[in-house]
Amino acid sequence: MRAEVVYHLARRDVVKFLRDRQNLVATLVRPLLWVLAVGFGLRRAVGTGATGVDFVSFLVPGVATMAVLFSSMFSAISIVWDREFGFLKELLVAPVPRATLVLAKMISASVTALIEVSVVLLVAPLLGARIDPLGALLAIPVLVAFGMSVSALGITVASRMKTFEGFGGIVNFLIQPVFFFSGALYPLDGLPPALAVVVRLNPMSYAVDATRGLCVGVHHFPIPLDVGIVLATLALLGTLAVRSFSRMQA
Amino acid sequence: MSPSPAIEVRDLSKRFGDVEAVRGVSFTVKEGEIFGFLGPNGAGKTTTIKMLCTLLAPTSGSLRLAGFDVTKSPEDVRRSIGVIFQDPSLDDRLTAEENLMLHAVVYGVPRAERRARLDEALAFVDLSDRKKDLVRTFSGGMKRRLEIARGLVHRPRVLFLDEPTTGLDPQTRNATWEVLRDLRDRNGMTLFLTTHYMDEAENCDRIAVIDHGRIVAEDSPEALKRAVGKDVVFVRTNEPAALCAVLAERYGLTPDRTEEGLCFRVEDGEAFVVRLVSEARVAVTGIAVRRPTLDDVFLALTGRQIRNGNSEAGRDAMRAMARRR
Ligand SMILES: Nc1ncnc2c1ncn2[C@@H]1O[C@H](COP(=O)(O)OP(=O)(O)O)[C@@H](O)[C@H]1O
Ligand SMILES: [Mg+2]
Repeated sequence: MRAEVVYHLARRDVVKFLRDRQNLVATLVRPLLWVLAVGFGLRRAVGTGATGVDFVSFLVPGVATMAVLFSSMFSAISIVWDREFGFLKELLVAPVPRATLVLAKMISASVTALIEVSVVLLVAPLLGARIDPLGALLAIPVLVAFGMSVSALGITVASRMKTFEGFGGIVNFLIQPVFFFSGALYPLDGLPPALAVVVRLNPMSYAVDATRGLCVGVHHFPIPLDVGIVLATLALLGTLAVRSFSRMQA
Repeated sequence: MSPSPAIEVRDLSKRFGDVEAVRGVSFTVKEGEIFGFLGPNGAGKTTTIKMLCTLLAPTSGSLRLAGFDVTKSPEDVRRSIGVIFQDPSLDDRLTAEENLMLHAVVYGVPRAERRARLDEALAFVDLSDRKKDLVRTFSGGMKRRLEIARGLVHRPRVLFLDEPTTGLDPQTRNATWEVLRDLRDRNGMTLFLTTHYMDEAENCDRIAVIDHGRIVAEDSPEALKRAVGKDVVFVRTNEPAALCAVLAERYGLTPDRTEEGLCFRVEDGEAFVVRLVSEARVAVTGIAVRRPTLDDVFLALTGRQIRNGNSEAGRDAMRAMARRR
């Protein structure tokens, strides 16, 4: 596997992401709307609650992780797009292992997600969130790993889907529960037992927990456990993606 | 060491559920040859190309390309080939240059050579001045030329072209063929192409006529046409009645009278015309010999005509048929 090939393939997606100005603006503004509407909307009602931090500060790492989830998942739609417009054949006939194509896609997905996360983390302090800059830097690799694993799941779905509608349907079906049962919007302490079980089974919960722990110092699980589970998920979903993508015929 | 053939296919079959797209096809293509698959839509041309370029697994049969087994060493095969697909395969949200550069990197063109190769390929298809433009702003013909340029960037040993000039205007088609012949002559590249245009097939060294997934004939265009039938000879004269009598008595022919002279069918028209001119004592003012077209070949082999939109040879053959009736 040649690093240069991965770089150029990933660069293609990022260039196109940055070139599509309308989509870019919408993508960057959406997470900020969450912080503004939900954060400031619920701030009074929630107070500092059990967590001991201001709700806006509490929410920002959750919204950052959410942005990674949505962005990485939907970036895999470019595979369906490439199939529809024929470019996929050019990729599949190229003399590079399929794993190279998958890795490039995972990297470009996490790079575009990181652009969104950076905007959230840079703007949030201006809105009054108190984020530890060093912690935020440490959270970046965790979010990258999480973004890569989500895009791997997206690639697995896209490899089996022939239409935009099919992809959109499955992805929406997957993405909603993953988001709502992750603790992105609420603390994990003292949840009803059934909800606590679901949340523990959801890999995203650990990505949120680590990011929040590193950025604002509030976390439920030990951070090394969080990181371990995020990496294990990445290994599992990455393998699955390579396998699905390799089986695909033009 | 004798060089292995560029392509060697034995008993190749492909089945999609109930559809037998390719049924036991065998053929060999030599290095540096221009080999064409001629057949109507649905004959199995694209399916064969997809199997040859590793995109589709055959149901049965063996495929070798540049000495490599296509099913066992797909990556070696992919390194040796270039493919120009029937359907569009560019990223139209990238510029022309970006499309070619990505291709050059992926196919391992050495970094120091990339610029030169890109410029050369773009100049080849006359797109140098548009290289910074997004492909989505290109016309259909320009996109096709760009795809051809892309297929050349890594200088493959074997270039596959699936209906390369379908949808192009006649001028662009001719220009494309100049490019393709030039490639073979200069670089000894092997070309495998498919077409349903008779006149396009004329450009090949050899053609396989394919119908319903089977090869029904395989030879040079000349030999195929010779095998099928006689040449059509037109003779212009001021004494048609006299010439008509000579043709009937001496050679047993029954020519048709046309406004300008006589028309008849005969084996090896050129040799016959030489004999006729020296033997007949009739003043002849003009002679034309038309060979049977590949349309005649396909008709003779399958009992059907290839449906071919705006092909020149097609129209000619239709006119010839109309005259015959
Ligand atoms: N992926 C596929 N699934 C099912 N049938 C197919 C598929 N691809 C091609 N076919 C069928 O196989 C036959 C040959 O198709 P194709 O190779 O595209 O013909 P050609 O390129 O000569 O026009 C057609 O009947 C076509 O409908
Ligand atoms: Mg076809």
